[in-house]
Order: sequence, then C-alpha cells, then structure tokens
Amino acid sequence: MKGNVSDRIESQNENQRLKRPPRSTAEWTTFGVASLVLGTITSLVVYSWATDGGRPPILTISRPEPVRSENNQFYVPFEIVNAGGETAESVQIIAELKRNREVEETADLQIDFLAENGKEKGAFVFTQNPENGELILRVGSYKIP
Amino acid sequence: MMKTVQKHRNQWASELDDLIRGASGGFLFGIPLIYTMEVWWIGSSVSMVRVLLALVLTFAIVFMLNRTAGFRKSADSDPRDELMDTVEAMAIGIICATFILVLLREITLETPLNEALGKVVYEGVPFTLGVALANQFLRSDESASGGEGRNSSPKSSNGAQKDTLNATISDIGGTLIGSIVIAFNIAPTDEIPMLAAAVSGLWLLGIMAASLLISYAIVFEAGFANQRKRQQQQGIFQRPSSETIASYLVSLLAAMLMLVFFDKLNGQDPWQTWLSYTILLGLPATIGGAAGRLAV
Repeated sequence: MKGNVSDRIESQNENQRLKRPPRSTAEWTTFGVASLVLGTITSLVVYSWATDGGRPPILTISRPEPVRSENNQFYVPFEIVNAGGETAESVQIIAELKRNREVEETADLQIDFLAENGKEKGAFVFTQNPENGELILRVGSYKIP
Repeated sequence: MMKTVQKHRNQWASELDDLIRGASGGFLFGIPLIYTMEVWWIGSSVSMVRVLLALVLTFAIVFMLNRTAGFRKSADSDPRDELMDTVEAMAIGIICATFILVLLREITLETPLNEALGKVVYEGVPFTLGVALANQFLRSDESASGGEGRNSSPKSSNGAQKDTLNATISDIGGTLIGSIVIAFNIAPTDEIPMLAAAVSGLWLLGIMAASLLISYAIVFEAGFANQRKRQQQQGIFQRPSSETIASYLVSLLAAMLMLVFFDKLNGQDPWQTWLSYTILLGLPATIGGAAGRLAV
C-alpha cells in the first residue's frame, strides 16, 4: 500500500520532470536574440564567402610615417595591406638600402598571416641613414594556406 | 496582480539562471582552446566555405547532444524545443568566445571581417559544446536536495573553529587542484608571452574583472552540482564575494608558480612581465579553480 503511494508520487514527479512547460516570454526573448546572433554570423560568413570570389592576395607596402632616428639607428616604419581576397601566409617582406647601385644593408621580416583587407605594421632598422640612399621595400614571397 | 508580477520575475530569473549555467559550461570547456594559437591561425587562414561547414557541423552535433543533455534544467522531449535550444547554445557559445577573443585582443577593430569570423566560429565550437554539456558534466542538484536551508547546520561552539579551518583548507585545496589541472597545460606554451605582447594596461584590468565574474558565476550562479553545499560552506571563504576574491588570489599564486616552474618567468624579467603573465594565466587558472571548488 505504502509502496503504491510512493510509486505514484514518483511517477508523478517523473511526468512533471519530463513534460516541459510551454516556453515563457523570457525564453522566447532569449530565442529571438539567439537567432539574431546566429543569423548575423551565418549571413556574414555567407557574405564574405560570396564577395571574396577566390581573388588571389594583392600585397602592397607603404610607408605612412617618416624615418625616426634614435641612438644612431634609423627606424623605417611600414604598413602592409592585403587588398586581395585570399589570405596570404608567411608573407616575406624585404628591405634593401642601396647607395651608388650597391646594396649596403638588407633586412627582412616574415608575417604569419595576412587575411583579406588585413593590415600589419612594423619597422625595419638600419644603421645607415636611408635618406642618403635608395630604400626599396618589397614583398619577397608568400604562400597560400 | 502581485502573483503575476512574482511569476514574471521568477520566469526571467530562471531564464537568466539557465543562460549563466550555459555560459559557465562554455567557459569551462572552451578556455583551454582559447589559449591555443593554432586555433586563432586556423580562424585567420581558413576559407569561408570551411567556416560555414564548421557552423553546420557544430549545429548538428549540438542538436544531438541536446537530445540527451542540454543546458536547461527542464528535461526536453520535443525535437522543436531541442532545435531552439541548439540555436541558443550556439549563440551563447559564440558570444562568450567573442567576448574572450576581444578581451585577449585577438579581435580588434582592425581585424578584417573574415579573419574575425573564422576566429569566432572556430573558437565558438568548444564553447558551444561546453554550453550543451553544462548540465551533463556538472549536473544541477537544486531539485534533489530541496529541504536544507542555508542555516541548517548549527555547530557546537568547540567544534566550530576546527571545522572552519578544515573547510578553508579544503577550499584552498580544491582551488589549487582545479587551477593546476586547467592551467598546467597552458603555462609552458608560447601563448602567454604572445598574448602578453598584445594585451596591456587597461585590458589587463578587464581580464581581472572577467576572471572574477566568471569564477563567481560558475560557483554561485550557475546552479551546478554542489552549489547548495557551497553556499553553506564554512570557513573564511564563506561569503560569496570574499570567497571569489580569495580563490582568485590563490589561482594567481598557482599561475605564477607554474610559470616559474616552466621557466617562463625568472628573476631577470621586469615586474611588468611577471604581472601580465600571471594575470593572463590567472584567467584559466581561476576558471579551473572554480570548478575545483565545486568538485571538493
């Protein structure tokens, strides 16, 4: 007898546990916001997939700031931008300082990743003043990830 | 009228509870992969088709997980509900991952859109899995032990002091074990110096605030197993705010010792390096510590 009652209570509890009450306003609000977040992310992914169109990387180097000299060293700031569609990996940037057609100093630097519209900044350091010679900054190589 | 207002408030409170539980599960599961630079790189370089595929796959896996586990307290039976829970779990996972990526300066205003999307989606996967598993690996016991109140353990006065000491020691022990389990994997890797280069100044304060907040949420808000026991835990850790701060300090100390152990920090490093490395490793250590205290 006693066992029957407790059984019934248990099965009632079970029913209560299994049956989920209808969604409350709060739960609907959460779902609304969640769908918005997930929808935005998904459409952004689709959008950037549609626009990149498999264009290869287009890498350009510029020198936005003037040369800075400190303790007899000359810092040449530069900026590299990937205007293409695909990501470039292991981008090699080479700087050469020439005087009278002879290379006096070289420096190089590698950038891990440069995504579409990606921008990286850095500086090359020379011991001679680049203003007195010809400074060449160029991209040596990159690979497709 | 009063009743409706009350019900209304309950409904929002329990919803918030569910969300915090989900987010806490996400942090527990996702943090180790946030401190893995290879995942950022995958996010930076992968093509958008793959990102889309990752979203679809995650959705499918989380949907199947939700059929058995889920982050909500009530058990489900309706596939439609599970579908909706899956959308929510993914949104929570993505928001939490984005929050941490922004905090760690892996996503800034200068990050190109597709790089940011790749990072968010790939780092969002472990967070989403954590959200979906929140109930499973740290099951709530609120319904199981309904009767016990907060003050149900009046201690005899001579036993009380010893109990307090024991409880404090077990809390510190739990925090230390949890911190070491999670942060020991991260301490010897190159992520900490890399992150320290990008995160500075005010962002470190942000990381400290996030560490405290997440630790508090895991232990006191998420309704995980043992939470009720926690709230009655004796000892100098007894108040939630002081416990959170005290265990944060313990986790920071553990993080610093691990960094010294792996020779990431030594006597020649400036104090700024000590500070930033410790705070950066402190985030996973605190999250581990919070889980450790629940396990004790």
